Amino acid sequence: MKIRANLALGGGLTALALFVGVFGPWLAHTDPIMDANLMNAELPPSGEFWFGTDQQGRDIWSRVMYGAQISLTVGVVSQLINTFIGTALGVTAGYWGGWWDDFVNGLTNLMLAIPSLIFALAIMAILGPGLTSLLIALGLTNWSYTCRISRAQTLAIKSQGYVQAARVLGYGDIRIMFSQILPNTLGPIIVIATLGMGGSILAEAALSFLGLGVRPPAPSWGSMLSDARETITIAPWLSLFPGMAIFLTVLGLNLLGDGLRDILDPQSRSRR
Amino acid sequence: MKRIALLSTIAVATAGMLAALAPAAEAQTPRSGGTMRMTAPYASSFGSLDPHASGRAQDGVVFLALHRQLYRWDSAKGLPVPELITEAKSSAGGTVWTFTLRQDAYFHNGRKMNADDVVYSFTRLMDPKKGFVGARWVRLIKGAVDVEKGAAQAISGIRKVDDFTVEITFLQKVEPGYLFYNMTTSILAKEEAEKADWPNNPVGLGPFKFKEHVPGSRLVTEKWEKFYQPGKPYLDTYVIQIMSEAAARDIAFRNKEVDASILGPVQYVAYGRDPQLSKHLLEVAEVFTRSMVMHNEKKPFDDKRVRQAINHAINAKLIIERLARNKAYPATSWLPTTVPGYDPALQSYAYDPAKAKKLLAEAGYPNGFEFEWTTSQNESWGLPIVEAVIPMLKQVGITVKPKVVEVTVLTDIAQKGEFQAYIGSSQTGPDPLQTLRCFHSATPRTSCNVSGYKNADYDKLLDEAGTTEDPARKLELIKQANAHLYDAAPVWFFNYNKAVLAYQPWVHGLQANPTELMHQYPEDIWVDASSPAK
Amino acid sequence: MASFIIRRLLQMVPMLAAIALLIFLLFSVIPGSFATGQQDEGLGLDMAVVQRMRAELGLDDPLHVRFGKYVTQLATLDLGISFRSRQPVADLIAVRLWPSLQLTIASMAFAIIIGLPLGFIAAMRPGSWIDLGSMVVAVSGLSLPKFWLGILLMYLFSLTLGWFPSFGYGDGGLYHLTLPALALGVSPMALLARTTRAAVLDIMNADFVRTARSKGMNEYRVVVWHVLRNALVLVLTTIGLQFGSLLGQAVVVEKLFAWPGIGSLLVDSVFQRDIPAVQGCILVITLFFLVINTSVDIAYKLIDPRIRYT
Repeated sequence: MKIRANLALGGGLTALALFVGVFGPWLAHTDPIMDANLMNAELPPSGEFWFGTDQQGRDIWSRVMYGAQISLTVGVVSQLINTFIGTALGVTAGYWGGWWDDFVNGLTNLMLAIPSLIFALAIMAILGPGLTSLLIALGLTNWSYTCRISRAQTLAIKSQGYVQAARVLGYGDIRIMFSQILPNTLGPIIVIATLGMGGSILAEAALSFLGLGVRPPAPSWGSMLSDARETITIAPWLSLFPGMAIFLTVLGLNLLGDGLRDILDPQSRSRR
Repeated sequence: MKRIALLSTIAVATAGMLAALAPAAEAQTPRSGGTMRMTAPYASSFGSLDPHASGRAQDGVVFLALHRQLYRWDSAKGLPVPELITEAKSSAGGTVWTFTLRQDAYFHNGRKMNADDVVYSFTRLMDPKKGFVGARWVRLIKGAVDVEKGAAQAISGIRKVDDFTVEITFLQKVEPGYLFYNMTTSILAKEEAEKADWPNNPVGLGPFKFKEHVPGSRLVTEKWEKFYQPGKPYLDTYVIQIMSEAAARDIAFRNKEVDASILGPVQYVAYGRDPQLSKHLLEVAEVFTRSMVMHNEKKPFDDKRVRQAINHAINAKLIIERLARNKAYPATSWLPTTVPGYDPALQSYAYDPAKAKKLLAEAGYPNGFEFEWTTSQNESWGLPIVEAVIPMLKQVGITVKPKVVEVTVLTDIAQKGEFQAYIGSSQTGPDPLQTLRCFHSATPRTSCNVSGYKNADYDKLLDEAGTTEDPARKLELIKQANAHLYDAAPVWFFNYNKAVLAYQPWVHGLQANPTELMHQYPEDIWVDASSPAK
Repeated sequence: MASFIIRRLLQMVPMLAAIALLIFLLFSVIPGSFATGQQDEGLGLDMAVVQRMRAELGLDDPLHVRFGKYVTQLATLDLGISFRSRQPVADLIAVRLWPSLQLTIASMAFAIIIGLPLGFIAAMRPGSWIDLGSMVVAVSGLSLPKFWLGILLMYLFSLTLGWFPSFGYGDGGLYHLTLPALALGVSPMALLARTTRAAVLDIMNADFVRTARSKGMNEYRVVVWHVLRNALVLVLTTIGLQFGSLLGQAVVVEKLFAWPGIGSLLVDSVFQRDIPAVQGCILVITLFFLVINTSVDIAYKLIDPRIRYT
């Protein structure tokens, strides 16, 4: 029952986020950047402005709708980069072993030891603020766990003889990796990626708080929340709605990841 | 021989304005004792506790408690006035000054200050191996540059006449008050400054002595009993609490955990609407002008008409009203309201998109143009302003490409000239002549002529103002130069900063310091018995 | 055992060296420099001063010279001089070590006190409402931006209820420590609850436990003895990992609450390009992480000598 509840709730919230991400521009009422009318600054929620307006007079509902695209892009793209780097390094390290394995292990330990937020901060300071820098920064700093897991999986599969058999059949290394190993590592990796998406969205908010996030006029939830933190006592709707958006999306991703893990991770199949 | 009274004519002009801004005269008698919990809002820590080494506003809050300078800024008069000196006489056309030092100033280690300390402090500032920020003020002394280059050990232009008299020869005519009120020219004791733990144990001449520093959290100072002003300081303890987060500061202030807090635009509105909090707000027009600096030497901003068009196309008043929530004064040319030479008769550029389009067409851009606008994230003079302006410029055909960078990068870019336009804040006072020199063609970009503005007529006005002996004529020339800038529009004139300090009802004696509102001389502050802090 | 410990300690050295190199390279390409960053609102910088500052701090030396200096300093355990305060970086960090440790330990304590029982209870009744409820509570803790949580805590517990001060270090006591520790501790709490639940469930279904149960042993004894002891291993690893990374995660919380830890020093130094301070902070943080991890591994081995390491 727990697993179904996990998946249901998590899947539902994530689907909602995805829906808004895809259809956001249609759901929005106004242009989130250009429709800034200073005469309308900081109005509370009303019939016309469902979520109220922000400091520049922009409709918060529209910005939250558009913001889904940015936040989800941050989550998905950074995780794609993470997964790609982590899997490539982990699988090859486990497969070939030797000095390459040692090198990748050392690199992974290095990445795990340095606080990822600081590393991301440094990279963003080099590249300058902006969405692309953020994606690169997050993508480059969070692949260690994926690498570890995919390496462990690769070693496990290697020991099961399928790889030997394939080699005897004359399959090349690359083919073996793609056909035998990758499919079996996908399960845990998907779980990590899903959970990691939530982490990336939160990291974006933290970096905005520190001053180096995705910057306006782009309506990212993280920067909206960060910009509004002074107004909690006066105009709580400025932070409430982006905050809820982040919370529900990350909650959904986390629950979904948990639910997927309960299904896909062989170790936990026994836990009912 | 002339006296400091030279400046009194200028003082008259500003006194009226400042009187309107200064808080109502205190009728109560100051109470001795108590604790004041000040906040340091600009960074998460102090940079350096050595007043020669840091020019940052955050560190200045500490320096004003622990150290003293030859002059201090008198916010009521709008002038620098003698602090460690009792008298200053000039001769030789204002290039030689003789300072008589007070004889009742004691360092926190108990020793009396004398002329040797002044000589030592100024010489230390020119140390070629250190980058002491205060050197820029001392460099105007004859022979200082030689010490800086390592060619001399002592500054030839400083002469100790006796234990309490110093004679200084400058390279040009100066008004030393504007140089030596700066905290980076604090007078230090040689035996203390050369100690190994000097950075952790600052000893100075100020009304409070150092007690405790918890880096990243607070600095605690306590009353120096031998301070030379009788009865002062009133407070027993002066605590400077580091709080860079405005949201946290707001909550702490409402919770009565701190006694004073600088407000941003958002809090300014909130406090203004609150019936209790609005009664205790200190507002002052600080000497900072916010503007968009245009690269005057490159297209399209090399044409005056284009620059004027930009000034007409942007509704600065609306932005100030809505975005800055009236926490700024619309700028009419370069000099702000609290600086002599400000002309209240000048009106800021009218919001007139039609006129803007006409000017653009005349200049050869009937369909507008595109430019890159470099900015930082600052909420008062950064990205939010740029965002608000983008639609306004679009209306007249100008497309803006914002480029966001960190503040330290912005400074680099500005000084190297690698920009088309950037938005920033410049200190434009308290000395109007020094401020206006930023547009003199002889001033290099790295010094402060970032816009690259060059005009011979303007240069002439400033040159004459610099040499004239007649204070009325000088003021007149300054006004003319300011008006010239208004017409030439080397920048988009945005606003002058309105600094707002919220203080608890039991705090008295705060000064409306236009050079930086957080720079309070703490010996004048006192708290009455209703303060929760004992 | 002793050789294991020594081996592990020795492994830390090349790791730290690699990190030092990486950080050095990273920050040598960062745009903006300390000297030009030393101004506030629009104060025109004096170029002569900037040049002397650059010379004093060695900013103009070529890369290999700077690196050489850096390496020789590190070899003598000298972390250099901070640009901002002209004081040894080691001194700056030393003052902030205890507050950082306080915050980390308090957060971890909160995480353990709440998270462990939460996970345990959920595992004892898998599939029940208690299970679902406690997991949702736990996961919620992982779904909020820390600075937002911090502000909410401030607003609720300081302003509205007045139970705690909203900021600062005070005298370093629990009164000031509580809110920051809560804000920081919520995510390790959530992670710990989840891990504990998974670990306990795992063990509960293991053969030897079922055997013990079937032998008629008291359920309570079974749980406490076997389950706890074996689950402890997994839980310990999580604690170790989290503990180590908490120091880095504390950055946002420290900045918000004006808590004088290493994290806020680090962030400030990054923005002001105080390179020696940045390098020193990162090295200390990673050293802390490595030491914690090694300690956890050692404790691991003590608890279950059957575990071997590759």
